[in-house]
Amino acid sequence: MKLVVGIVKPFKLDDVKAAVQELGVQGLTMTEVQGFGRQRGHTEVYRGAEYTIDFVPKVKLEVLVDDADALSVAERIMESARTGKIGDGKVWVLPVDGVFRIRTGEAGSDAL
Amino acid sequence: MHASTLRDARDALVASHELRGTGFGRALGALLDDALGGLLDELQPSVSVPVALVALGSYARGELCPGSDIDVLLLHGASRKPRVRDEVRAAAERLWYPLWDAAFVTGHAARTVKQSIALADEDTDGMTALVHVRHVAGDPTLTAELEQRARQLAQRRARRLVEVLAAAADERRERPGPVAEMLEPDLKEGAGGLRDVHSLEWAGAALGAAGISGLAERGYLTSDDVRRLDAARERLLDLRVALHRVTGGRSDRLLLQEQDAVARAVGAADADAMVRDLATSAREVAWIGRDAWSRLRAAVLGPPGRVAHRDHEVAEGVVVREGRVVLTGTVAPSALTVLEAAIAAAEGGLSFERSSLLRLRAMHPPTWDVWERAAFLRLLRAGRGSIAAFEALDHEGALTVLLPEWEHVRSRPQRNAYHRFTVDRHLLEAVAECTSLLDAAEEPERTFDGVVARACRRPELLLLGALLHDIGKGADGDHSAVGADVAQRVARRIDLDSEGREILTWLVRHHLLMADTATRRDLSDAAVVDGFAAACSGDGERLRLLYLLTIGDSRATGAAAWGTSKAALVRELFVKTAAAIERGAAAAMASERRHALTERVGADRAERFLDALPDSYVLAFDTDAMVGHVDMIERSEPAIVCTSLPGGVVEITLVAPDRIGLLATASGALAVSGLSVREALLFGTSDGMALDVFRAADPFGRVDDRGTGFVASTLHAALADELDVEARVADRVRDYQRASAARGAVEITIDLDASDGATVIEVHADDEVGLLYRIATTFAELGLDVSVAKVATLGERVIDTFYVRDRDRKKITDDRVLGQIRATLVARLADSAVA
Repeated sequence: MKLVVGIVKPFKLDDVKAAVQELGVQGLTMTEVQGFGRQRGHTEVYRGAEYTIDFVPKVKLEVLVDDADALSVAERIMESARTGKIGDGKVWVLPVDGVFRIRTGEAGSDAL
Repeated sequence: MHASTLRDARDALVASHELRGTGFGRALGALLDDALGGLLDELQPSVSVPVALVALGSYARGELCPGSDIDVLLLHGASRKPRVRDEVRAAAERLWYPLWDAAFVTGHAARTVKQSIALADEDTDGMTALVHVRHVAGDPTLTAELEQRARQLAQRRARRLVEVLAAAADERRERPGPVAEMLEPDLKEGAGGLRDVHSLEWAGAALGAAGISGLAERGYLTSDDVRRLDAARERLLDLRVALHRVTGGRSDRLLLQEQDAVARAVGAADADAMVRDLATSAREVAWIGRDAWSRLRAAVLGPPGRVAHRDHEVAEGVVVREGRVVLTGTVAPSALTVLEAAIAAAEGGLSFERSSLLRLRAMHPPTWDVWERAAFLRLLRAGRGSIAAFEALDHEGALTVLLPEWEHVRSRPQRNAYHRFTVDRHLLEAVAECTSLLDAAEEPERTFDGVVARACRRPELLLLGALLHDIGKGADGDHSAVGADVAQRVARRIDLDSEGREILTWLVRHHLLMADTATRRDLSDAAVVDGFAAACSGDGERLRLLYLLTIGDSRATGAAAWGTSKAALVRELFVKTAAAIERGAAAAMASERRHALTERVGADRAERFLDALPDSYVLAFDTDAMVGHVDMIERSEPAIVCTSLPGGVVEITLVAPDRIGLLATASGALAVSGLSVREALLFGTSDGMALDVFRAADPFGRVDDRGTGFVASTLHAALADELDVEARVADRVRDYQRASAARGAVEITIDLDASDGATVIEVHADDEVGLLYRIATTFAELGLDVSVAKVATLGERVIDTFYVRDRDRKKITDDRVLGQIRATLVARLADSAVA
């Protein structure tokens, strides 16, 4: 099993969710996160009041999938989250040693 | 009784769904009495001192629920012999083991009466545990002795006990929060929950009264209160028993996911109906409790210092007496009087005196004249304190006379993962959050949100918007659309002006738009920002109000609804939209002025004149000034007009063939004339003329004394090269130089982001005669074109800001060139001008 992790622009969340659901993904976890990449932060000014954004708001997605599905899910996340502008985010894939469903005790692929 | 038998019997009771509330508690209590009583009878011969088994806590009160702890105490006679202590310990274990084996959680101890009392004196929990006990088995004289001594102790410590219990009741309002207003209330520990009822019983014992009915005998409660408390306790217990049955657990928090099943277990129509009934009961408890505590506190603590017996009149017919708000009139109060009283309560954090509260019921309906409207808005502006005041008004039916729509949202649950509170409390929380945002505008520290709040023209619409934004919840259809209709109706009823009506309705209609756009749309897409600016009707005020309402609403919703991520996105949308609106407003103003100039000088002249100048020109001057400039430019020769403006400001308009260094010559001539330039707007026409406008201070009153003629002639002479500007400026510098003044460092900041068309250079330096001349000379030497110059004086220091372009009127971005500019400026300015 693999864990596909994506960092995407917040407004792309609904698109990404719809896209991976089409692939038959049963569940997805999202977290509001902040960070910087090449996009860096920026400063916003209103009537002389400044607000510096050192970390840009993003959404982090985590999807547990079977090994065979990992690449296609990663690709779908990329396609659906892409705007072509800076700050579109990243996707990476991690190996997972075990998965269990808490309610039933199912394990492995059954627990996905 | 064997443990497994006990367990089976307990399970049978839990499975008997007809046993509800106190019925269940008494049945389980009787079962335990039997089991433990039988065991104690068997054990008594093995202990050589008298023993008694005493029920404490909910076991004593007959309020056991399926998941309750079983609190029991094995009382025994005193003895110094170690053998006796061993006997007691062995007996106790034989009592508790069957309970543990039957999977009860116990709170147990074996003590003498003296030990028990000593422990009870150490902490309040220990004391309250002994205030209400029940004899189960064994020697009844032991139990009676314990009971009597515990009551004596409670009365001796009445002051501390009441203080601690009242403080804990206050604390429960914040955490876990009020049962009536939380979506997932804690039936036991929440404000208005079972613990509140128990606390009143304990307080009664401290005053030497028998529980709650004793409080009534002593006048702290009415007999009606006692009846309502009993009914509420019964309902709370009914739900708690049902909740434990449904979950099989011990938690007292009525989670959303359990509410359907619990509603079925208590025979409610649905979960919403059950939650509303619960809220009604919990409100009764919270309400009666709050009033009782304030009087109990006063009784045990005595009058609070010098807060005093004298009435303090806060409005006509409203006084503050001993820290409570009292209505003094004899007839039914007017709406204005009630609002004034509520304001006094809200602003002072005070409660209503009991009989005054009852008089709210007879309130006359409001007429919504200007005074009543202002009072209503002031009540909203009172912040956190207004929540309790609104609840007081609501409790006696006055709120629905003021705002009939409130009926619809009272105790209305909301089933989603974000909300913490029922709709009514959420609306009041939102008002309080918005109030604190408005307060931020008054604070000396300039925060981003504070600046936005300060810019608001109609902050009252923010508070009304907060009060009404979810008023459409629970009706069919989109709650924003329904709410907008309601807001429209309310706005008419309270006789808001037409702009206010329109903005308020718009705010309620679109209260989710900003959060939705910020979190779900691409903010780097100009079309998204323009679309949102259009939704705000291009109105900066609507944008500001919606921004603040979005924050207030989110914060009032719960921790999950407002984090730094969402805050950053909403702020980004705000800033981008504000810029878009300003651009739009600038474009509209430019076309208006263009039109006005055409009216005055004819289309041909206006067009020829304006087309030769940059777009920024029309935004900088009004029509009268532009008409004057047209005349000067058309003469195609150096022209100078000098006028005195109010406030000791002299405005000098100069038209001359454009050249690099013109600013240096002009600012030098003005320095020689004794004027101190504050602002310079410099425009070059496409046909090679310069149109420069200087606004200068006249510190020595030269213009007052001599008129403006000498300024114009000095400038003319300088332009015609008939005046050695450099030498004359140097003379003045020498004349005004102070011998020992320490010189501050020169600082240069360069900003490439501030303007699209020019590099913005700021020079921070000591304020000196001829400073602007020296800077302008340096720019001329470097071959730079200056389009705008501003001077800000901060005590001894000045900050001069210049919009600078290269010889080809292009923005300078090359680091090497910028570095050279910086170095040259520092070098020239650091050299004393008198060198």
